[in-house]
Amino acid sequence: MAVDELLAQFHEIAASPKKQLEKYLAQGKKVVACAPVYTPEEIIHSMGLVPMGVWGADQKVGEAKKYYPAFICSIMQTVLELGITGKYQGVSAIVIPSLCDSLKCLGQNWKYAVPDIPFIPMTYPQNRKPSYGIAFTKAGYERVISDLSAATGAKFSEVALADSNRIYNEHNAVMREFAEIAADHAVSAAQRSDVFKSAWFMRKEEHTAMVKQLNAELAQTPKDKGKIRVVVSGILADSPSLLEIFDKNEIRIAADDVAFESRQYRTDVPEDPNSLDALARKYANMDNCSVLYDRDKKRVDSILELAKRHDARGVIVLMTKFCDPEEFDYVPIKRACEAAGLLNLNIEVDRQMVNYEQANTMIQTFREMF
Amino acid sequence: MSEEVKKQRPAPDPNSAKFKLGQIAAKAYSDCVEAKARGEKVGWCASNFPVEIPETLGLHVCYPENQAAAIAARGGGERLCSESEGEGYSNDICAYARISLAYMKLKDAPEQNMPQPDFVLCCNNICNCMIKWYENIAKELDIPMIMIDIPFNPDYEVSEAQTAYIRAQFWDAIHQLEQITGKKWSEERFQEVKKISGRSSRAWLEATACAKHNPSPFNGFDLLNHMAVMVTARAKKEAADAMETLLKEYKENHEKGVSTFRAEEKYRIMFEGIACWPWLRVTSSGLKDRGINMVTTIYADAFGFIYDDFDGMCRAYSRVPNAMCLELARDKRVKLCKDDHVEGLLVHTNRSCKLWSGFMPEMSRQIGKACGIPVASFDGDQADPRNFSAAQYDTRVQGLMEIMEENKGGN
Amino acid sequence: MFTLGIDIGSTTSKAVIVKDGREIVASSVVIATVGTDGVSDAIENVLGESGLEHGDISVTFATGYGRQTYPDADGQVSELTCHALGVHHVFPDARTVIDIGGQDAKVLALNERGRMANFVMNDKCAAGTGRFLDVMANILKLDISQLEVEAAKALHPAGISNTCTVFAESEVISQLAAGTKIPDLVAGICKSVASRAASLAKRVGVRETVCMSGGVARNAGVRKALEQELNVNIASCDMAQLMGALGASLYAYEKA
Repeated sequence: MAVDELLAQFHEIAASPKKQLEKYLAQGKKVVACAPVYTPEEIIHSMGLVPMGVWGADQKVGEAKKYYPAFICSIMQTVLELGITGKYQGVSAIVIPSLCDSLKCLGQNWKYAVPDIPFIPMTYPQNRKPSYGIAFTKAGYERVISDLSAATGAKFSEVALADSNRIYNEHNAVMREFAEIAADHAVSAAQRSDVFKSAWFMRKEEHTAMVKQLNAELAQTPKDKGKIRVVVSGILADSPSLLEIFDKNEIRIAADDVAFESRQYRTDVPEDPNSLDALARKYANMDNCSVLYDRDKKRVDSILELAKRHDARGVIVLMTKFCDPEEFDYVPIKRACEAAGLLNLNIEVDRQMVNYEQANTMIQTFREMF
Repeated sequence: MSEEVKKQRPAPDPNSAKFKLGQIAAKAYSDCVEAKARGEKVGWCASNFPVEIPETLGLHVCYPENQAAAIAARGGGERLCSESEGEGYSNDICAYARISLAYMKLKDAPEQNMPQPDFVLCCNNICNCMIKWYENIAKELDIPMIMIDIPFNPDYEVSEAQTAYIRAQFWDAIHQLEQITGKKWSEERFQEVKKISGRSSRAWLEATACAKHNPSPFNGFDLLNHMAVMVTARAKKEAADAMETLLKEYKENHEKGVSTFRAEEKYRIMFEGIACWPWLRVTSSGLKDRGINMVTTIYADAFGFIYDDFDGMCRAYSRVPNAMCLELARDKRVKLCKDDHVEGLLVHTNRSCKLWSGFMPEMSRQIGKACGIPVASFDGDQADPRNFSAAQYDTRVQGLMEIMEENKGGN
Repeated sequence: MFTLGIDIGSTTSKAVIVKDGREIVASSVVIATVGTDGVSDAIENVLGESGLEHGDISVTFATGYGRQTYPDADGQVSELTCHALGVHHVFPDARTVIDIGGQDAKVLALNERGRMANFVMNDKCAAGTGRFLDVMANILKLDISQLEVEAAKALHPAGISNTCTVFAESEVISQLAAGTKIPDLVAGICKSVASRAASLAKRVGVRETVCMSGGVARNAGVRKALEQELNVNIASCDMAQLMGALGASLYAYEKA
């Protein structure tokens, strides 16, 4: 299949999660919603359930205002809104981790706002690396397994999880490969986003197959030069209107540090005779994210390293309004960029944006500085 | 808190609980300054970090949250918040954090100074924002960070897995601190600390429970001030003494039919949230002028740390406000409302605190329903004066009062 | 060679004609918003003032809020780049430019060659922008141009501390009701805007000479409050509002 046709398919899936949900339900499968930022999707997958990401949508907030004050981020607000307004109808359960304060509130509100979709908490440790942290992660997973069984009747087996771990590792690898290829080939910011976004709405083996094909096709196209290369960082980067501004100004996303995108695919499940231990160790090995305890702010170095490795001229932070983990990290990121001679932009975004003029002006000006 | 009010009053009685508690708070800072001057290592400590650890080890720590509240109450909140915003911190970040990060840079605030830290003690049972705040301090000052992770507990009970995880971290923290400071953990000293902390806690719980009397022998705004000592110094002998004095005074007040609430108590409410420190007088007199006594807050329950052993201590730190699920948090408040004959709930929707405010609308609805009382909320902030509107506060409080009045008539 | 720069802002349209990228031949400010005839009026004004005709203009560049929808320019460029060029032309020593416009507040860092080295813009909140001043002037039933006059009469500037426009509105109304004098309120409002702009300026780092451009630069109340907040002198001139249009005409010359 040609590159354009493949990209059109990714776009179709990225733009219509509801259709994907209905498709899986029609196949007789049970679907489990996965809230940001990390959930043990491998477990859900291994139990024969379909994990689907729920990161909200670009829309107005109405019903959720009954539960949240205005200063909670628009991702949490719209996830709850979609739940209340029945957009997740058919979903068997939702797994919500408590990795930030607003996520803790999402779980508590969910129980009363969307009582027909069971809330399954996933409690991750912040001291995730010592053995006691790994044991606690494993206990959290066991709790998710037992809640999933109760909600869906599905059974857990370590053998099935070992398979799912492999499937997820393979998916990680093709996503990392795609990010590298997209950095040098004619893939627009919007198309790049479609590939990442669609991953949340598909079974990973299906997505892997599609991305593999795309990677192979793209690798044969000529390299696309002459654009300003940047690293994009933030929680989300999926707004079509915003991405259009990148494309219009000939700015290429050479790499990302976006929670919704590459942060998901950096860490593989390690080899371990016990598949659940292995998965707990995967979480222990994860780093460079604003919601994972990081005394040394290694995330800041990792962004600079990413920029260097990808020959980027600047770092554009898409700051989800009211996301305090990201807001705290911004200051050290800004300082490090300044010290390294990298331009950096901080563009505040949320899911209720209708006017992109300020973002447009900032990105256009950024372009004019080269 | 305000200086001008102090000047008008006669010299306080040195045997009063208020005086003693004030001394303890002041001494915590001066002890730290002296320890630092002696060359000892001092720390900055999160308010809900297990105080038993530094206390048993004999470490001197000071509390950035208390400092930020003091700075805000004395009018420095906006200045320090703006300083942080100039560094690139968003004005949506917790104002305590913004003040603290600004203080780390300026190293001077006439409203409340404290020594710079040699290490930080972080515990996120109050919020995850605390982790980010302390990460930034530790990284910038290049000092050790002791991180005790007490996860938000989605369940009513504390699981064995969570207890084991916390226990391991406590010991890890103790060992790290022994290495950093050269001081040693002593089981004997821990038993003593536990005993004193228990004494303070029992006196505190009993004193705050005196609100059950009608009229209440105290103004609930007292609790907002005294709780700082409960949180940070309850393992000190002077604190236990002061808390016992407080209990004695409240009992005496009740017997004499007097109160620290200096008005006729017409209505009794529960206040929800951290105080609006920059507007303490406005928020307090807005109630007092209408005869509304805030008789209780969750603080009345929250800082009674009574436990039998090390594991009990681990569990106690999982049951602090902001670390517990809606149902447990709700039930504790419903009990306070019922015990203390509360007629209305006033909720501070605190711009600085996403966790405290993020499921409060639902929880306060449930409390209102369970207790049959009206609920009003107002927008404010624990330390940034810019996020409060006196006019809005006044209207909301008046509305709450009018419903409470209506309810009295109806019964 | 004559080049034309037009700056289509949210509340005004501005036009400047420059000769050979050096000499300002004519300028005009018309109060009108995007989508009205303000732009053509401004262009007719500068042509009339200079005695030139449409055909004499070699290159036209548009900037400002309406730059992307204006059809008759040879190109468009962001207002930040324009303000940098415009201010550098008038104040060659400028290293920091603070531009408070109707919708946005921006701070630019310029290098020795007058090129933009860094910039920041306000967050999504309207506090700290010209819009905030409009809202407040409206409550006080003052014309925006009177703010400066009133602020100068203040004896005890009021504390208008709110970051939120809605809250600030109720604060101003309460203070009015409590009998606070209008000049004191206006001075408080100016200080509030200045304080937000000062935080932005600190993010890029304040280097002298500091200049103000944009419509709000004409408001000496804000300018003086900003000088106090940042503890520097701030240069400004009658041209402040025209810096964007001037920059666009200079940019047009570079591109010609």
